[in-house]
Amino acid sequence: MSIAIQFNNVSKCYRKGAGLPKLIEALGALKDLRTDQVHWAVKEVSFELQGGQSLGIIGPNGAGKTTILKLLSKVIRPSGGRVEVKGRLSALLELGAGFHPDLTGRDNIFLNGAILGMRKAEIRSRFDQIIDFAGIKDFLDTPVKRYSSGMYARLGFAIAAHVDPEVLLVDEVLAVGDYAFQQKCHARMDELRANGTSLILVAHSMDAIRRVCTHGLVMYRGENIFLGSAADAILSYTNMVRAASRAASLEAQVSIPVDGGVSQRITTFDAEIKNVALLNTSRQPITMLHSGSSAIVAIDVTFNKSVIRPIFAFYVRTPDGRTVYSTTTRLMNISTPDFAAGENCRVEFPITVPLLEGYYELWVNVTPYDMSHFYDILERALEFWVEGGNGAEGITDFDAQFILTRDSFPETLPNPQSMPLVVNHE
Amino acid sequence: MQNTYINTLSANHELVLAWTMRIIRARYKQSVLGILWAVIQPIASAIILSVIFTVFVPVDTGNVPYLVFSYTAMVPWVFFSSALTDMVDSLVNNSQLVSKIYFSREVLPMAAMLARLLDFAIAIAILVVLLIYNRMPFAQSWFYLPLVLLIQIALTLGLGLAGAALNVYYRDIKHVLVLGLQLWFYATPIIYPVSAVPEWLRPFYFLNPMAGIISAYRAIILNQALPDSSLLLSAISALVLFILGYWFFKKTEHHFADII
Repeated sequence: MSIAIQFNNVSKCYRKGAGLPKLIEALGALKDLRTDQVHWAVKEVSFELQGGQSLGIIGPNGAGKTTILKLLSKVIRPSGGRVEVKGRLSALLELGAGFHPDLTGRDNIFLNGAILGMRKAEIRSRFDQIIDFAGIKDFLDTPVKRYSSGMYARLGFAIAAHVDPEVLLVDEVLAVGDYAFQQKCHARMDELRANGTSLILVAHSMDAIRRVCTHGLVMYRGENIFLGSAADAILSYTNMVRAASRAASLEAQVSIPVDGGVSQRITTFDAEIKNVALLNTSRQPITMLHSGSSAIVAIDVTFNKSVIRPIFAFYVRTPDGRTVYSTTTRLMNISTPDFAAGENCRVEFPITVPLLEGYYELWVNVTPYDMSHFYDILERALEFWVEGGNGAEGITDFDAQFILTRDSFPETLPNPQSMPLVVNHE
Repeated sequence: MQNTYINTLSANHELVLAWTMRIIRARYKQSVLGILWAVIQPIASAIILSVIFTVFVPVDTGNVPYLVFSYTAMVPWVFFSSALTDMVDSLVNNSQLVSKIYFSREVLPMAAMLARLLDFAIAIAILVVLLIYNRMPFAQSWFYLPLVLLIQIALTLGLGLAGAALNVYYRDIKHVLVLGLQLWFYATPIIYPVSAVPEWLRPFYFLNPMAGIISAYRAIILNQALPDSSLLLSAISALVLFILGYWFFKKTEHHFADII
């Protein structure tokens, strides 16, 4: 595999303040500015990507994620360092940028394709694929201003994804579409990647990163905090968000909203999760268990403040973000006691795990009795592997058996064809 | 410089054409008169001027009716001023695109100019009708029209590219342009013949490249004559302005997305 993208010690700085831009800066760059007048949008970031690899860029708002995409696509020029991209690049920084609302879908396909660097003949040869993907066959000659936002987004993605780029940049645009659209986009990205396209994805959805990316880059205030596998990057980011919000809340002694990008949530750390483990029946920590076996979710909690009847919760999710199981002490109708500041406690949930083979994530949290915010939450506290299930596919182990009776029906069953049609009133 | 320009031009010609079509299609969508608007403006101006300068303040235009006299100049002038205005606005009006997608930035001002060229062609067609109606002859001098047009386009591109780039930095340019075009209009022989310009002023008068260009249009179309030496001066200044404007645009374009 050859190197498709080389991002070598790249920086990008802007002048602070609202003064008029200086024409001279275009001709001579930012040379004689004092350092306190400069804002580093990206500072000394390096990475490289080979053909067919995909990199997810994670970080809070203002971390420099979009700036990196703009540097890669040559929209802006770095203030320092070197950016090298081999092959044709297609960037999706905004869905349908360049669409003219008054023009028809057909006209906009040709226009947008031309902006993305396609020749007319190329667009024509991919025209059917594009309208197929976007699902706008019946609206080709309708001005795009009459499109639904979903159609607009689909068309925008469809064009960019059919440029046959060697490098594709995607900036959290997929968040706009519905679930089916996102699945379609992910499938198309997988397909491109299988054909050797390198992919860089900026997303606030960790699930999208985990689904699509092999590698992950965590950015914070323009700097590279972590570079590694996608799973490790997500973990590092989750820890970073938690550590940052913890530091801030201890310092200010107030609850602060955490901009984790995942959601606007408030974490106060009045109760703090110290340790989390999955124990087997002989109380040994494990990361692998057999389908149908028993285990214990064990959580150590320290109380930094006195707390009234806290609610403990854990949930199990698949890596693509589906919740398999979720419960809280409140749902279990358990009334927990009050705790004093400085107190420690161990919480255990004995469980049986009727899951099929695969990776699962364990999430835990502690909230006040009214669940108004979080005392603490640990996303992906740990990952565990379930094995067994006799090769069945899905999530839940139904533990199916098989019985065969020949020549007779043991009892009379209702015939599905004669059953009344069920009308679904939603 | 000329060479690299032609290279980028051919590599981007499909995008330039697509963008030109976008402007043309969008300009006349949802309008009843549509493309007719391309000729209404110069015709209306020429009619108003005819009323003023034949009824109120008669101007001697020889044996050419004043309407034809002024329309002949008004058509290239409207092309020049509208193309320049559109070019200067072209980057700022598409800031979303400039700040999000990479493509050769000169595509936008180029297309803005080309879209006005279509209006010009339609207005010229009307001029031909007007000439036939007035039984005016067509001579071989018409073969010089493309040359004059080329000089005018070079001038427009030079000023338009520089203006578009400057407008990214300072939005004052747009206002300066409105004022400037107004003054320029009167400094160019559109409503009056060159013969009305005092003899002593003429050497300076033709430092205005548009004066030579408009005079050339009139000589070719109305007098069936070849353009005089003032066109050479216009050609030289148009070429110099084109090179400078293009150079300035290329020098600053990498900075556009940062500040637009």
